[in-house]
Amino acid sequence: MAMELEYDRSLYGVEHQAGPFEITDEIIDRANSSIGESGPAFSSDDGAKEAGYRGRIAPPTLCCILVRQVALPDVKVQFGKTQMHAGQRVEPKAPVYAGDQLTASSHLKDVYTKTGRSGTMVFVVWETTFSNQDGQVVAEVQESFARRE
Amino acid sequence: MPYYDEIELGDEIGPVEKVATDDDVVNFCDIWGAPKPNRFTDADTAAKSGMKGTIVPGIMTMAMMAQLLTDWGGPGSLKDLDLVFRQPVPHNRPLTMAATITDLREEDGQNLVECDILMTGTEGERYIGGKAIVALEGR
Repeated sequence: MAMELEYDRSLYGVEHQAGPFEITDEIIDRANSSIGESGPAFSSDDGAKEAGYRGRIAPPTLCCILVRQVALPDVKVQFGKTQMHAGQRVEPKAPVYAGDQLTASSHLKDVYTKTGRSGTMVFVVWETTFSNQDGQVVAEVQESFARRE
Repeated sequence: MPYYDEIELGDEIGPVEKVATDDDVVNFCDIWGAPKPNRFTDADTAAKSGMKGTIVPGIMTMAMMAQLLTDWGGPGSLKDLDLVFRQPVPHNRPLTMAATITDLREEDGQNLVECDILMTGTEGERYIGGKAIVALEGR
């Protein structure tokens, strides 16, 4: 029989806004240097223009870093003691340019249980939409966190 | 950059080997001001979380996986990257990233290449797995 999970279901349908996040050259530089990224479009305006962009763009997972700065409420899952980052998904929708001001809108997407060889885990999934200063959606990010018995 | 017409099912992207050093992880965590101490940069905190040592943040490994794909398909080619963090990823160890093409389709005027993507360790560890979609130009 399915386990009846206890958590704050009132969070469904509620959007949590955050930002604006300014995409500075420094943030892009740091994201690049951490992983040895030297792609021309991510490195300079000139490199980006040669690739057909109007200016320097951020690497496609930058919004996955920004999502860390979105304060999300406690889902109050009554299960397990430890929580880990179980997965992440990004769907880039439009270029993020150096100088953009992004805003984030997050909502609780799902809470579900899964039982496997290592026991039962509860997954909490948040979905965040990032938009730029023109209201254009630039990325959708999903984060899932697992709680273990 | 490869053209869509040149790609076949089963083609490989990579492998590429990288190491995330302690300094790289500190640098990355400073982007979003990770509260300190944390399990990414502090060994004691990592141990309290049941880890054998400090670990590489999932979002940093994600950036590395995305880099494999944008190096191959171009800076704006990544359309979807969906990863499962299966095991903690250690600092200062060789990490191998590779993808295998599993589907090719034309959709909404785009040439889409779908692949399975994996990050593995030297002892056969399968740290991260997932799927990705990359859009390529046709000839």
